[in-house]
Amino acid sequence: MDWSKENGLLIIPLVLGCFAVCWLMPSTRQRPRILGGLAALAAILMMQAMLLPPAGDYVRSVLFFVFAAAAVISAGLMITDRNPVYAALWFALVTLAVCGLFLLNAAPFLSASTIIVYAGAIIVTFLFVIMLAQQSGTATSYDQQPIQPLMASVGGFILLGALLFTLQEWGHIDGTSTSEHAEPGQFIALPKEIEPNPLSQAPHDNPHEIGSLRVLGRSLFGDYLFSVEIAGTVLLIATIGAIAIAPRRSQGTL
Amino acid sequence: MTNWLNENVIWLIPAAPLLACLWIVLVGQVIGRKYAHRPLVLGLAVSFAASLYLLAIALPHALEDSHHAVIAPIYQWINVGTINVPVTLRADAMSALMLTMVTSVSLLVAIFASSYMKGDPGYPRFFAAMSLFVFSMCMLVLASNFLLLFVFWEAVGLCSYLLIGFWFHKPSAAAAAKKAFVVNRIGDFGLILGIFLIWQTFGTLEFSTLFESPKMINGILAAQPEIFHWICILLFIGAVGKSAQFPLQVWLPDAMEGPTPVSALIHAATMVTAGVYLVARCTPFFVHAPYVQMTVAGIGAATALIAAITALTQYDLKRVLAYSTVSQLGYMFMSLGAAGAGEGLALHAVTFAMFHMFTHAFFKAVLFLSAGSVMHAMGDVIDMRRFSGLRKALPITHYTFLAGALALAGVPLLSGFWSKDEILAVLAAASRGGEHAGFYATILGIALLTSLMTAFYTFRAYFMTFWGEEKFPEEAGHHPHDAPPAMAGPLAILAVAALGIGLLTGPTHLYGHYLHHTPGLPEGYDFPMDWLMMGISSILAIAGIGAAYLLYVVSPGIVQNLQRRLSLAYQASQNGLYIDWFGYKFIAAPLRGFASICEFFDRWVIDTLVDCVGFIPALFGSMIRPVQNGMVQNYAAVMTLGLVVCLITVLRALAGTH
Amino acid sequence: MTATVLESQLIVGATLFILGVIGFLTRRNLILIMLSAELMLHGVSINLTAFSRYHGNPQGQVFTIFVLTIAACEAGLALSLILSLYQRRKSLDVFLWGKLGEDDLPVFSGSQAPPVTVTADPNVDLPHLTPAGRMPKTQPGPQTKT
Repeated sequence: MDWSKENGLLIIPLVLGCFAVCWLMPSTRQRPRILGGLAALAAILMMQAMLLPPAGDYVRSVLFFVFAAAAVISAGLMITDRNPVYAALWFALVTLAVCGLFLLNAAPFLSASTIIVYAGAIIVTFLFVIMLAQQSGTATSYDQQPIQPLMASVGGFILLGALLFTLQEWGHIDGTSTSEHAEPGQFIALPKEIEPNPLSQAPHDNPHEIGSLRVLGRSLFGDYLFSVEIAGTVLLIATIGAIAIAPRRSQGTL
Repeated sequence: MTNWLNENVIWLIPAAPLLACLWIVLVGQVIGRKYAHRPLVLGLAVSFAASLYLLAIALPHALEDSHHAVIAPIYQWINVGTINVPVTLRADAMSALMLTMVTSVSLLVAIFASSYMKGDPGYPRFFAAMSLFVFSMCMLVLASNFLLLFVFWEAVGLCSYLLIGFWFHKPSAAAAAKKAFVVNRIGDFGLILGIFLIWQTFGTLEFSTLFESPKMINGILAAQPEIFHWICILLFIGAVGKSAQFPLQVWLPDAMEGPTPVSALIHAATMVTAGVYLVARCTPFFVHAPYVQMTVAGIGAATALIAAITALTQYDLKRVLAYSTVSQLGYMFMSLGAAGAGEGLALHAVTFAMFHMFTHAFFKAVLFLSAGSVMHAMGDVIDMRRFSGLRKALPITHYTFLAGALALAGVPLLSGFWSKDEILAVLAAASRGGEHAGFYATILGIALLTSLMTAFYTFRAYFMTFWGEEKFPEEAGHHPHDAPPAMAGPLAILAVAALGIGLLTGPTHLYGHYLHHTPGLPEGYDFPMDWLMMGISSILAIAGIGAAYLLYVVSPGIVQNLQRRLSLAYQASQNGLYIDWFGYKFIAAPLRGFASICEFFDRWVIDTLVDCVGFIPALFGSMIRPVQNGMVQNYAAVMTLGLVVCLITVLRALAGTH
Repeated sequence: MTATVLESQLIVGATLFILGVIGFLTRRNLILIMLSAELMLHGVSINLTAFSRYHGNPQGQVFTIFVLTIAACEAGLALSLILSLYQRRKSLDVFLWGKLGEDDLPVFSGSQAPPVTVTADPNVDLPHLTPAGRMPKTQPGPQTKT
């Protein structure tokens, strides 16, 4: 019982979230979707209580909560929406929220490039395909029949519970050792000092430049040059493969 | 150079056909399929030259240095504890004579076959098997110990199987090959038991130690005299199987399903005489087992008589010759058996058996090859009722067949006459004295009767084939052609040999004196010419030929009359005295019944048990199989499950560290 | 109960990842399955950047760039695959592509969903796997030479 008392705060939002996802799954039967929405809201609020920041940096806290809640809610709506077009749009929203989180994590370049790559390329292509394949635009029968939603949700949330529990345990161990320090009102929190990269051969960076293009570029094209080359090769091969796999015009397009 | 040759000529003899075999097998299938006979002919020519050299120069050279044999060690085969089996080639006088015969006949038959087999789809296969056969036969003769001899004893059996079943798509050929192989197994079983017994008794299998040291044999003889009877009877069982003696003679007539050159080489001249060679080789043992020798003579006589009776009424030309071969092999065993009559007789008995084997190889080869030539011309028809009067159409074949037939019948001064006459003489000598005189007199009587019948059935076949009105079967076409040069050449050479080789080597004692150099042969007194037996056998031969002429040329009506009157005896002869039938009915059928019981047991009891065992994994499998339904998401779900398990395990471990 | 900034970031990443897993497991639309996979990648990216800041070095961000690269590759390949699959069956339903399973099993059709009838396209000539543990069906071979 001690264990459940200690972790009740963790279990309740998980159960609620699981119920919400399960309830909101597309189904042939008509359900009051508001019930699922309420459960999800409750779960997120309870989780939010868990996430109270130690310091009183409200601007950053609020921003974090907004982005995190947007990402999670959009993700939930994305996997439960019966219309794939809407799902893709929800995914775009998830991407934007995640980019916000990137900004909070002192990664402005990443956030910009993610928006460009995902919102600008991937989601558009996905939407293209969806629209080509489902020109009627309405949800098809298979979009309304998820595969074993209960089993998948329960399994997924057990995994999430395990992850959160792990985090909690770890947080007790050295959760206090976060070296971050944010000036009040500063949008991007910066570390006090930079831990040297054991692999890096570049001179130590200025802590204030973390997340800047200079540091990132030096690491990327200095320490990880070969990886970059390999990644480029992978891209090339993927391009060739995509061209090879994609249907020929002689076979007729979609 | 001569020194080198003297030492190395011996391994050249088997190596040449082996190389030919390897060439044909590895390369000949692709390159020059039409010329697959060339490596064999070349190899055999080398082999023949080498064996002549061995016979004429190398061996006498060795004998001068008071070595008994030419020996060439190749390598150590088995060397475990006290067991020590080297692969060593060893040629003494007996081997040298036999090798000369084997290689010369094979060379001629190979040349004959190169034309005879032309156009056959299995042309390279035929010559590959034949090279392998000649190699195995040479190794069998050159083997220096019993184990090596047994290996190549089996190898020649295998080649015989391959060549009898050469046209394996013919069910009869396949069955005949199987039959020959299975019947030979019985004999081989006896042989290997005999070899085991020799090993146990003497502790060695080397010919040189076994046969060249009478002291050892005498020692054993004093300790356990009956052991020689067992050894000899077991070795003789091996010889009975290979040389087609009663009651295992049933495979040889069926073996005629093979191509005719094979019948001439393997089933007349060489392989079937291996049994005679084995018994002759083991004479030092056999002289100490007189009862076994009487058995040998008895079996030989029974075989000779049965085969001769059967041959009287056959219509298949090759079968007549096959039965004749069996009958002549019986002669050789009669002669070998006569050694039991007295100490001094053993040498001559063995000599005359080997001499008959030598002459028989030539005249039987020419007979078979002539029969092959007839078949070739008649479009593969061999039934003598369907053709006759081929004298004009096939003059060369006619003359060569006639030469062979005269030699076989024992017409005076031809080779068959000399060798057969000597066998009769040795039998007569055996029946003149000793405690078993009566037994040997009976054998002599059978031999004489068989001799008469031999002349009769040989010339019956001759007259039926070559005399009378000219008649061809449809398969032959309108103008049957006589043997082409590649066939006629070997035929002519063999015919000359059949006529003259007896006169050349028999009365001059060339063969006999040479053979006497074989180590281990007992001493013998001078054997005089038996003029009485010569006279009787000449009369019998002429009488047989005359009877055949009378019955089949002058008045063929008598035969029909006789057939009607003696229909029972005629039927019995036609069916080989029902020995085959008896074997099928009373040996094969019960075995078959037993096999079907075993099959039933296997199918319903053992198979069911095995199926039960196999059912258990299948059951587990069917329980798990639905997981593998091809849905990627199912697999992903299982992965998630595994991840959960891993995480929880890690968590528990972390909790433990607190 | 309080949590550090790093922890809150990690919680968000984990949640996104799990939602992606659930979407991957439940959706039947091929494109949504791919989108769910991208969602999982987002969760991982958040983790990486959070750690990057926690440690104060750019490694995590570099990794995120690689994740981005691979995600782009994956998306391109997946879309071309989906397109060619769509051409064969004229549908994005993943149930139509259960051929990887054992031949004699019924086509999986979820818990509540009505069974899906797979209409075999005669033009499709896909390689067939032999069911495990069965003898392959052999053509009656050419007669032995007679």
